Amino acid sequence: MSQHPTYLLDRAKIEGAHTLAVAQKHGAYEALRKILKEGITYAQVIQVVKDSGLRGRGGAGFPTGMKWSFMPDPAKDPRPRYLAVNADESEPGTCKDRVLMEQDPHGFIEGCLVAAYAIRAQAVYIYVRGEYRHPYNRVFQALAEARKAGLVGKRILGSDFDCEVWMHKGAGAYICGEETGLMESLEGKRGHPRPKPPFPAMFGLWGQPTTVNNVETVFNAPFIVNRGAAWFQSMGTKTSTGNLLVGVSGHVNRPGVYELPFGVSCREIVEDVCGGVWKGKRLKGFFPGGSSTGVLPASFLDTKLEHDAIKATGSMLGTAAMIVMDEDTCMVRAHEIIARFYEHESCGQCSQCREGTQWLHQIFRRIENGEGRHEDIDMLVTLSQGMAPGKTICALSDAAAIPTLAVVKHFRSEFQEHVEKGACPHLPAGTRRPVLAGHGAAH
Amino acid sequence: MALPQNLVAEFNELLTHYPHKQAALIPALHRCQEELGGWISPQTMEDCAAFFGLEPVEVYGVASFYPMFRMRPPGKHVVSVCHNISCALRGSDELLAKVCEVTGAPVHGTSADGRFSVNTVECQGACANAPMFDLDGVYHEDLTPEKAARILGEVK
Amino acid sequence: MTKITINGRSIEADPTKPLIHACHANGAEVPMYCYHPGLSPVGSCRICQVEVQQGTGPARVVVACRTPVAEGMVVNTEAPKAHETRRECLEFLLKNHPLDCPICDKAGECDLQDYAFAENQGEGRTHEPRRKLDKRKSLGDVIVLDEERCILCSRCVRFMEEVPKTPQLTVSDLGSRSTISTFMDRPLSGNYQGNLADVCPVGALTLKQFRFQARVWNLKKSLSTCGECSRGCAITVEVLRGQDVKRFRPRYNASVNQWWMCDTGRFSSARHNATERIVAARRTSRGLEVAGLEEALAAAAALLSGAPAPLIVASPFTTQEEAKELLALAKVLGAAAHFVLPAPSGLKDALLNTGEPAPNRRGLAELGFAPLSPAEARAKLAGARCAVLAGERVLELLGREELARSASPKVVTFDTHALEGAAAEACIGIPEQVEKTGTWINIDGHAGKLHVARPAPKGVGPLTRSLQALTRLLQPSSAPAR
Repeated sequence: MSQHPTYLLDRAKIEGAHTLAVAQKHGAYEALRKILKEGITYAQVIQVVKDSGLRGRGGAGFPTGMKWSFMPDPAKDPRPRYLAVNADESEPGTCKDRVLMEQDPHGFIEGCLVAAYAIRAQAVYIYVRGEYRHPYNRVFQALAEARKAGLVGKRILGSDFDCEVWMHKGAGAYICGEETGLMESLEGKRGHPRPKPPFPAMFGLWGQPTTVNNVETVFNAPFIVNRGAAWFQSMGTKTSTGNLLVGVSGHVNRPGVYELPFGVSCREIVEDVCGGVWKGKRLKGFFPGGSSTGVLPASFLDTKLEHDAIKATGSMLGTAAMIVMDEDTCMVRAHEIIARFYEHESCGQCSQCREGTQWLHQIFRRIENGEGRHEDIDMLVTLSQGMAPGKTICALSDAAAIPTLAVVKHFRSEFQEHVEKGACPHLPAGTRRPVLAGHGAAH
Repeated sequence: MALPQNLVAEFNELLTHYPHKQAALIPALHRCQEELGGWISPQTMEDCAAFFGLEPVEVYGVASFYPMFRMRPPGKHVVSVCHNISCALRGSDELLAKVCEVTGAPVHGTSADGRFSVNTVECQGACANAPMFDLDGVYHEDLTPEKAARILGEVK
Repeated sequence: MTKITINGRSIEADPTKPLIHACHANGAEVPMYCYHPGLSPVGSCRICQVEVQQGTGPARVVVACRTPVAEGMVVNTEAPKAHETRRECLEFLLKNHPLDCPICDKAGECDLQDYAFAENQGEGRTHEPRRKLDKRKSLGDVIVLDEERCILCSRCVRFMEEVPKTPQLTVSDLGSRSTISTFMDRPLSGNYQGNLADVCPVGALTLKQFRFQARVWNLKKSLSTCGECSRGCAITVEVLRGQDVKRFRPRYNASVNQWWMCDTGRFSSARHNATERIVAARRTSRGLEVAGLEEALAAAAALLSGAPAPLIVASPFTTQEEAKELLALAKVLGAAAHFVLPAPSGLKDALLNTGEPAPNRRGLAELGFAPLSPAEARAKLAGARCAVLAGERVLELLGREELARSASPKVVTFDTHALEGAAAEACIGIPEQVEKTGTWINIDGHAGKLHVARPAPKGVGPLTRSLQALTRLLQPSSAPAR
């Protein structure tokens, strides 16, 4: 395996790094100190992050510095302003932010503070998915330590920078990882995404200017402040700079969360980093970045893991959560699961999404159960086209349509096989998959 | 009926985190579920409504939106088995079958002795350590049916 | 105002309202389910797709209910792409819809049915089983919910939150499992529940009172005004086969009731289906007997002529037109005009109901009628020799039983029913509010019009005409009645 420079997980690997003493010994809060002691202005922080080319790590890959610069000038707009940190990590396959929160909570808190400084937020809300009790507790304890040490709260490190950091627990709804759904949920409501415009920078939490950033995104900020934009750009590719956390799951020998620069090939990740496909099997396909990024067949394995190259395949980098599937995987079954997921998670506001996610799930299930018709295959396509792109308030409808379109495009013959055989070809003849649960509803 | 004093005190502290009261509702419902029988009872919703100055139906609309809030009382222990893609690829079907067998609970149901409730849940963010379940709020990862049986067998 | 172009026509749009408002105000048809002009827009049903082009940008299809108008915007509501997107949306909306139009009370005035028909979406592609849910879930005394028909537009939820400001409904659960619910199936309360059936764009929320009562296309609709309080909400009166009043429904009036009305007013429609009505009667030696209108009027004139200052008491339901005829009569008789002002109903609220069950209280007062409580009116009557009691419900409001108990004063009545008892000398039938034209002046001075929604019983003429005839009979200089 080739060696790549690392920084994101360096401290996380140190024993006891979740405590303030150990974290500080290994560089935590140095960027914050530097900003406050050297009098670096918020505009300078935004500029260096802009220059670094840092793009959001939550899935959309939007340039972070630019997002921060959308916040109105406080001299002209004195309203209170907030940073909401999206720690609702729920995209199937994605399990990276959890590592940062559990193992380097102080690095994460510092990231929150640097971002808050840049956008001049007086409060940070860290929206953690409710299931993440351990990561929540780790950050909660770290916050208590940091608050005690004068790193969070009023007059941070004796400066005139005031910033509170609050933890907030979600309660199991995927849609609250969508930034406007997150804001609604943080306000104590049903997590219904809001139509945009207005955009969060003008009308966010409680109608005030708000920036929503992913955990890993803000985590990068202190490193950029400390080491500079040029250092950051030395990793990754021209348009996707720095390192990112790649979570690999599914049929590989060593699933895990790995820190890699943008631009490594998917082959390197599967074959070198993760020790290859398990059980000596061949690769059938993979999701490059979570369940809402279209599946790619094995022939795309040499694609570089970075925004542009993945986009060129027709898929998306998403959260860089690679889900790897071996040659025995039934693509129909895999997508039945994904369709079920989106049906389960649709908030239900928009007609296309509420009804469409259910419809797609029903068709996938029928085909998988050998009750499919040939016209169902094209119907998956036309229904998906009715659901996306941009036909609904948020992108969940797209997230259900995109993998559907991709799997029919790349694996149509498998669907035909199901229809013609009247059964799933991956199951022993005459058997059906046990129906253990119709729905993942927890109540 | 009203909320227990310790929760009221906690909620009053929570309110200081936000510029608007309702923002504390979801964290408060979590605490209610933890402290008041493992579910969000109608009484809990009424009490929270009174605390937050909302109508009970508004609390109900919020609580029922979030899958983590249980609208029925669960068994003594709750096993939530992830059945999303990464876990399914690594055997969550077999894991779920084993969990149901060992606990005697049907999926989305409670065992006859009331000891276990079993749910399937969507991705829990433990994909690199699939398959997994959450047992009473604690993740158990890299499971096999055998390992799962052992863990559940040790539950008091 | 903002200049925009809709379907090739340059128009001025209100910049405070979403684009859909400008479309509708200018005759461009854009379907809508979640949008309601009286409720906050949510943009969730996605049916109101229109094509919009701004500046040098490309034409885009957007939802008109969440798009603000902008100077120079070019809007095409009939663009093929907009129609295509709407058709897609309709297909999703119809996926789980039970298509039970033949037994649905909403059929004929259902936005989903109408628009599916307009877009030729008679057949769907779905082969999946449709959602099976509760088809008759009672939400209290007024409303029944058919969960299968619901398209989750959330208008009802927003109505309760935003109009009477008593949140009682929510979308519960999420996604394809969502339903409209009250808290723990509690019945709805409040005096504005009936509006839910109006705001519901489909047949999910219907009135129990109207359940299986009529096909709406058989209802004749007439513009009218509600008489249950001095708000005078603008309504339509809907009559089946020229007979039964089946519904009162609010109609939009910007300065009176917007889109709404209270249940007291809405369900007062039932009162107008009483069968027994009087045409005319007069007292003979055998008692009160059915008579021709002219005979009854002659008896009335005989009683009143020469009587010293008879008392005139009007009903608060008397229209301005009727009241003016009463004044003419009062002048001939040298009598003072009064009207009964019933006690407050106790239904006063912050929204519409004034709690004052007297639709023309202000109009009558402006014409110089003096208000009397029922008790005051009865006391005055006790001291009078004879009286004219006129207007719909005047006897009921004065107290039918109290009036019947005494033989004096002798009275002439103009009401829908006769006065049983020794006091009645002549009783002349009149039309009900749904059977006449006229005007009420509401609490704020707005004129509310009444129109004939159903004919009055045979032989019953307008009160104005009966009063004119009586006045003529009493005029000393008048020629004999023709």
